[in-house]
Amino acid sequence: MKRTVAILLLALGAVLGASASASADGAQAGGDIHVAQTLGGRDLTVIIRRVAEVPGPVHVDVVTHAGSPPGEITLTARAAGAATSTTKVVLGAVPGFHSGVVHVDRPGPWELAVDEATIPFVVPALVSSPWENATYGGFIAAGVLLLVALLFAVFGKPGLALVPTAGMVAAIAVGVTAALLSPSIPPVAAPGTQLDPTYDNINDPYRRTSVTDFSRPPVNLVPSMNGEDLVLSLTDGSSGRPVDDLLVHDSAFIHLVVVSPAGTLRHLHPIRTAPGEYRARLHAPEQGTHAIAAEIARRGGGVQLLRSSIDVSGTSAARPHDGKADLATEVREAGRPSTIKARFGERDLQPWLGMLGHMIVVGPISGGGPVNAPIWAHVHSMIPPTPGMPDQPDESVAAYGPDVPFTYSFPLPGKYLVWIQVERDYEIVTVPAVVDVPAAKGVSEK
Amino acid sequence: MKRYLLGASAVAIAVAGALFVLWPRSVEAQPHLAESGQLRFVLTPASTKSGVNSFDLRITDRAGNPAQGAEVVVEPAMPQMGHTIAPITAGPSEPGHYQVGNVELFMAGQWEITVSLGAERVVIPLLLT
Repeated sequence: MKRTVAILLLALGAVLGASASASADGAQAGGDIHVAQTLGGRDLTVIIRRVAEVPGPVHVDVVTHAGSPPGEITLTARAAGAATSTTKVVLGAVPGFHSGVVHVDRPGPWELAVDEATIPFVVPALVSSPWENATYGGFIAAGVLLLVALLFAVFGKPGLALVPTAGMVAAIAVGVTAALLSPSIPPVAAPGTQLDPTYDNINDPYRRTSVTDFSRPPVNLVPSMNGEDLVLSLTDGSSGRPVDDLLVHDSAFIHLVVVSPAGTLRHLHPIRTAPGEYRARLHAPEQGTHAIAAEIARRGGGVQLLRSSIDVSGTSAARPHDGKADLATEVREAGRPSTIKARFGERDLQPWLGMLGHMIVVGPISGGGPVNAPIWAHVHSMIPPTPGMPDQPDESVAAYGPDVPFTYSFPLPGKYLVWIQVERDYEIVTVPAVVDVPAAKGVSEK
Repeated sequence: MKRYLLGASAVAIAVAGALFVLWPRSVEAQPHLAESGQLRFVLTPASTKSGVNSFDLRITDRAGNPAQGAEVVVEPAMPQMGHTIAPITAGPSEPGHYQVGNVELFMAGQWEITVSLGAERVVIPLLLT
């Protein structure tokens, strides 16, 4: 009789335990980090692969693009108090993937130096959450108590067996409760994305802080030229201190768009050379005032756009873009969504910055040129997510397109400069266009 | 025997409770109502999952009479991703009743569907799983 009940309870415990462990695995370790870097004359994408074990190797892929000179770069992983790990990666003349391995010996805030560029990244500690511990602990305790109860029953002490049986029921209750509630427990603030990463909060990520609003002050951007290098100085809008908490968003710390007086576009990804200081080389610039706009995301905050301009004393002639695509545009009046579809012929486009295509919109252009354009936009054409693939595809997957659609509601009527950018054969293809947006008709009309 | 029955019923209740709590639930496709100055829009999505979707739209005036209009424009957007997809236009299948097919809502999350008929427009939130 008692044995039947015990067996039934055991079976129930097994059923609940199996379902509980599936839902208890909440926290996922971080994924790959893709960072585009304009390093000197090269346009690189540095991919820091997910760190599987600590201490252990960190696989780094450096992707070169067309026009990138061959050579050698040095990868260095360093953290305060840890041994530095260095490796050299030879970049071939053919654009593509070049791999290197560095080692990390502890979880914490690390920095990967690629020559003079530094990329902060977090090596997470594998810490099980309190609710995982309660779930597994509850079921393990229940199993042990069941064994004790059975032993008491076998040795003819049915009265004493009641005590561990009651304990078992309590332990199962704890395990089941923790397992069922764990999906609805809000995630803790992540070091690296919401909190400044330190050894303490990386090794103890489940300690909660009282902070619930993680947003930070806006940023001031001061551009200057140093030779051919455009130097961006970022300072906090409230304290004046250097801003050193930029997140990787859309695969870069800063998406810097520079439009020359002749209307040529550069989409650069400045490297971090010091706290609050980023650099990108303007190879063979034109003379005149360049319009610049930087998209950044601060830790704990959203994306912000910083616009400025810089006088460049270059000597080169304007180099027009040579990208070609068939554009099918359906431009509606200001304020209504217009669609622009670029057709690139073959289905062999690669994701660039995690996206199928980018469209930079600057306008309406009047007498002042791009510097005084009131609207500056960066529209994406997204790669549809693949179910079961949480990581974004990297540039080695050349299977997208050929149609790259964009939808954008031009807010003001007028003439806009538009550039569409995609990647093919590790080369960034830039297609310039001009869009005339009509004024909105009377309110009564569509 | 009585104790056995008691135990069996306790186990049955526990299993039923566990099934009730753990049973996977899907969100039902509910009609969404939104009102503009003149019109009343009722949008019923075919599915609440991401992927190719279709909308059943019933547009009436405030009195309940079918709205007159040659075409309705549906503009899906995903504000969190800063992403919009191309607007879709559809004509009425009968007065005040519109079928908007082939809406590619490729990502799970909170969408905003802007529906406009003439100058009247409403924004309908749609959560996809």
